[in-house]
Amino acid sequence: MAQPLLEIRDLTVGFDTDRGWIVPVRNVSFCIYPGQTAALVGESGCGKSVTALSILRLIAEPPGRILSGQVLMEGRDLLALPETQMRSVRGKDIAMIFQEPMTSLNPVFTIGDQIMEAILLHQHVTAREARDIAERSLYDVGIADPGRRLNEYPHQMSGGMRQRVMIAMALSCKPKLLIADEPTTALDVTIQAQILELLRKLQRQANMAMLLITHDLGVVAENADVVGVMYASRIVEYATVEDLFDRPAHPYTEGLFRSVPKLGNLAERLATIPGTVPNPAHFPSGCKFHPRCHRMEGDAKCGQIEPSLREVAGSHWAACHHVPNHASSPETSPRLDHRREVVAMATEDLGADVLPSAKEYRP
Amino acid sequence: MLSYLIRRILLIVPTLIGATALIFFVMALAPVSITDALLSREGNLQPGERKAREEYLNRRYGLNKPLPVQYFRWLNAISPVGVKEKGPGFPASWKVGVKWPDLGNSFKQARPVGPIILEALPVTLLIQTISMPLSIAIAITSGIWAAKHRGKLQDVATGTVLLGLWSLPVIWVAVMLIGYLANVHYLKWFPAAGLHDPRAGSMSFFPGHGSAGYLLDSLWHLVLPVTCLTYGSFAFLSKLTRASLLDTLGADFIRTARAKGLSERVVLYRHALRNSLLPLITVFAGILPAMITGSIVVEKVFSVAGMGRLVIDSLLAQDRELFLSVATITLLLQLTGFLLMDIAYAIADPRVSYE
Amino acid sequence: MSRGDGNSGFPVRPAVGYAPGGAMSDDLPLRRTYLQHVVHDTLVPVASRLGLAWVVCLAFFAVTAPFIANSHPILMQEAGRWSSPMLKSLEPADIVLPVAAIAAAVLLVRRKLSAGQGLGMVAWVSAVTYAATAWPSAPQYYATLRGARLELMSAWAAWTLLRFVGAMVVMMIVLLPIFVLPRRATMVAGACLAPLVVLTLVFPVRPPELVVYERYRQKEGSGQITFVLRAMVPYSANDRLRDQPELRLTPPRRGHPLGTEPNGADVLSRMIHASRIALSIGFIATGIAVVVGVIVGGLMGYFVGTVDLLGMRLIEIFQAIPRLVLLVAITASYGRSLYLMMAVIGMLSWTGDARFIRAEFLKLRKEDFVQAAVAAGLPLRSILFRHMLPNGIAPVLVSASFGVASAILLESTLSFLGLGLVDEPSWGQMLNQAREGSGFNWWIALFPGAAIFLTVFAYNLVGESLRDALDPKLLKRE
Repeated sequence: MAQPLLEIRDLTVGFDTDRGWIVPVRNVSFCIYPGQTAALVGESGCGKSVTALSILRLIAEPPGRILSGQVLMEGRDLLALPETQMRSVRGKDIAMIFQEPMTSLNPVFTIGDQIMEAILLHQHVTAREARDIAERSLYDVGIADPGRRLNEYPHQMSGGMRQRVMIAMALSCKPKLLIADEPTTALDVTIQAQILELLRKLQRQANMAMLLITHDLGVVAENADVVGVMYASRIVEYATVEDLFDRPAHPYTEGLFRSVPKLGNLAERLATIPGTVPNPAHFPSGCKFHPRCHRMEGDAKCGQIEPSLREVAGSHWAACHHVPNHASSPETSPRLDHRREVVAMATEDLGADVLPSAKEYRP
Repeated sequence: MLSYLIRRILLIVPTLIGATALIFFVMALAPVSITDALLSREGNLQPGERKAREEYLNRRYGLNKPLPVQYFRWLNAISPVGVKEKGPGFPASWKVGVKWPDLGNSFKQARPVGPIILEALPVTLLIQTISMPLSIAIAITSGIWAAKHRGKLQDVATGTVLLGLWSLPVIWVAVMLIGYLANVHYLKWFPAAGLHDPRAGSMSFFPGHGSAGYLLDSLWHLVLPVTCLTYGSFAFLSKLTRASLLDTLGADFIRTARAKGLSERVVLYRHALRNSLLPLITVFAGILPAMITGSIVVEKVFSVAGMGRLVIDSLLAQDRELFLSVATITLLLQLTGFLLMDIAYAIADPRVSYE
Repeated sequence: MSRGDGNSGFPVRPAVGYAPGGAMSDDLPLRRTYLQHVVHDTLVPVASRLGLAWVVCLAFFAVTAPFIANSHPILMQEAGRWSSPMLKSLEPADIVLPVAAIAAAVLLVRRKLSAGQGLGMVAWVSAVTYAATAWPSAPQYYATLRGARLELMSAWAAWTLLRFVGAMVVMMIVLLPIFVLPRRATMVAGACLAPLVVLTLVFPVRPPELVVYERYRQKEGSGQITFVLRAMVPYSANDRLRDQPELRLTPPRRGHPLGTEPNGADVLSRMIHASRIALSIGFIATGIAVVVGVIVGGLMGYFVGTVDLLGMRLIEIFQAIPRLVLLVAITASYGRSLYLMMAVIGMLSWTGDARFIRAEFLKLRKEDFVQAAVAAGLPLRSILFRHMLPNGIAPVLVSASFGVASAILLESTLSFLGLGLVDEPSWGQMLNQAREGSGFNWWIALFPGAAIFLTVFAYNLVGESLRDALDPKLLKRE
């Protein structure tokens, strides 16, 4: 088995607010392998964005603090690095794109300036060469007439284009891992498909790993290799994407799948998970999901002891007392070197419109 | 860009007309008629002189005509574009064109208004042009420092101190400074009046020959007035810089910049600062009126012969000619300042389009 | 350090107040209304509490000024007869202010009425007191009116107005308690204050009576007065100590803790009386500015288009004129009157509030609840003032607090330049006397100047605190 590219062990992040400590990420562990797409799924407020930001140490130190854990990248603990070395990881080894393309670019600089800034920072090239690399990156993400676009300002572009610019900026230094925090949530559905398609293609070209943060199960189904489901600051289930969709183990995941309306299914009421996501300042004791769980059936254990993430089946981890084998399974941290079977998708034939053709780009 | 500029300049004209009309009508509607005040002050005028004065007033203002006509006559006289000669029968024999503005004659000083203003204007401009960049520079530096140490004790303390500075009345500061620091009875660190030593005419520009030299002497005289004008605006701008910077530092694009691997210094000075200076430009335009008010007080306390003192003196002497011209020039300066700020903002922010 | 409750030992403090936004929670209910929360948040920092304390202190002095600093003795016995010269010398305003303050204090403590109703009650009490105290002097005012040459309106019109207003006041006194409590409190407050305003404006200023202050001291010295009970500061603001010329322009000493002025008056007494001017100009000028600004800005923001264009030109014109220049021009041309000064300062300060309200209304008119109100056919004033205004008023409150400070500064500067009020004492005018005479009169520079500074600082502190409390972004920014 290959070595993981990124290994997160027992990560716990807290925020010291004037209303008390809030701990939105608690004992989170998983691994990402080279070239793999790992997805973190969960509702708003479950801690997935904070996890992603903590990998790059982008959490504002007051009031936030990484309370414990390690983030090992090819053996080095990123959390223990001095800031100067961390800066050479950001943008170069690990790159990140964010949810809001409308506000993620500096409005007073041209996009050319902003892309070249990243290139010049991490690569030893002249300004002229940097400009060429930037132009090439814009072409690679499917922006027509990249030479002219380099001199434009962000406000002159649409949301989809800005997200492409963000991707170009992130990939210009060929990182090993791309963290994508809900990259398509703020975009139209058709643009969503294009952007995800683009990401998949670029990922395959560069054999780049990707950590995809999303709340959309459809996006997970099409793009992810392995999935971690987060609820109330912990990972409650971790499996390959096929396993998760076929046999969800945790009651929360079950509830999620049940509440997705299915075509052709004549139902009068949509199924929901009763109750609401708990307030991070007041997590319930024991299992965080137990107030809403249908499997509980009055078992007091669920309200007292928090179930840990255990490997209940080969390549499938779950954190629930009522999953078969849970009590007897080993408590290990999830590591799954799995790539999905690539199914030839119809959209790949549309590549000519969406993506640049295979021939070399000559500026 | 040029059309934007021309349009903005043209927009000054209605504002100028509106504002001068307001001042004119306010003064003209006063219960004591200007003519009576003017003529009764110099009570012992010869009948011939009195007649001449009345004729001058009537010709210039048309005092026997309705007020709006008076205003337009005055406006016509003072504007560089207007009616040059008026014969009978409008508009055939009226010549309209560009002409020298005729600012009139001051009654109190018995000489044309133009030279009076030309003597006073550079003095005020000198103090202002030293104070403004100084306060901006101090404000930005201290604002950045406060934003970097946000939340800590020195930041909170500085914030309160700055608020206190902003609350200090100029009248009090000026009186206290001159009472304690320019007083033979206490500390005579600075001179008490004026901008130049009485022997300034015979001084060399640079130090030498036993005297401090014109340059240093002027600077020495300028310290107290400039301090009075700077402390208020720098306190206000500093707090604003800090707030604006903190706002910008929470923006999404700063997070992107950090994620690219840029150092905190580059993020602050290159990405955050440029964005946070934009609101400062608009606010700075609002500080201009306060500077004019401040210079009125400062010029009175420090006996500086500038525009501010002209304003007060001309009013107290019921010298309407002088006051109207001074007020108009002040207005013009202020509106030009606003215009420059607008242009600066349009240049600095690429999101503003020149349509 | 850990008070564990199943949260893996991390320090936990129970969250107080209301639940933070974002994730839904059903555990902590809202304990305070938004207004109470804002007021509470504003008063949390020590600085703003100190500022508010100073303002309350100042208000106390302003209200009780004629009682604590007066040359007229509170009580004296002369030739066997007891009399109270102080009570006889009081003006109607001197009585209305303490009564209104007591009424307001009682209402604040008892908290039975809402804010609007309380305001109406206080306004009614003030109107009644004023009418009761001013009416005995009415014949004197009639006489003055008959002789006065009113240019604004003929004497006959003034008479008619007086009679009409008089009838309204009587009606108010009799009927209003029935209407004050249930509803329409703001209308009631307006209805009470309107005749008050008209009365004070129509009655010309009482011709200054020549008061011989030193007669009390002289009579006491010569034994004619057998018993005297004086105010705490036994000098009036205008008592020039004509019987003690050697005490002119002296630094602080026994009997005059803050020294005396070049014309002999006691500095402490003048400072106490000057607090009235400062506070009243601050509040009323800012009140005018807020009312005008809200109306103009609201109309501009709601009816965009020509109204907006014209309004912007108006705002630009008013913003272009330096306030002090116009203020000086008006005072020099029209004479010095307290009401004129308040009105002018108010009319020169409304542009900021108008801009804020315009910006807020431009945002709000697209909101669903406004569209719903329009669709429901509500009258315009209801939409503007009951629905939109409470949501957009926040920046105006902040601006009002800073506006009071700036109005006080403006008035002080005007007085400093020698163009302020003549009869009433003012801190700025006192500051101007610091350089009279041969040297630097430090006590006249220090104390009035410090008073101006502290008052302005206090308002600015409260204003800053209020702005922080109303700023929604502050929750994100630690």
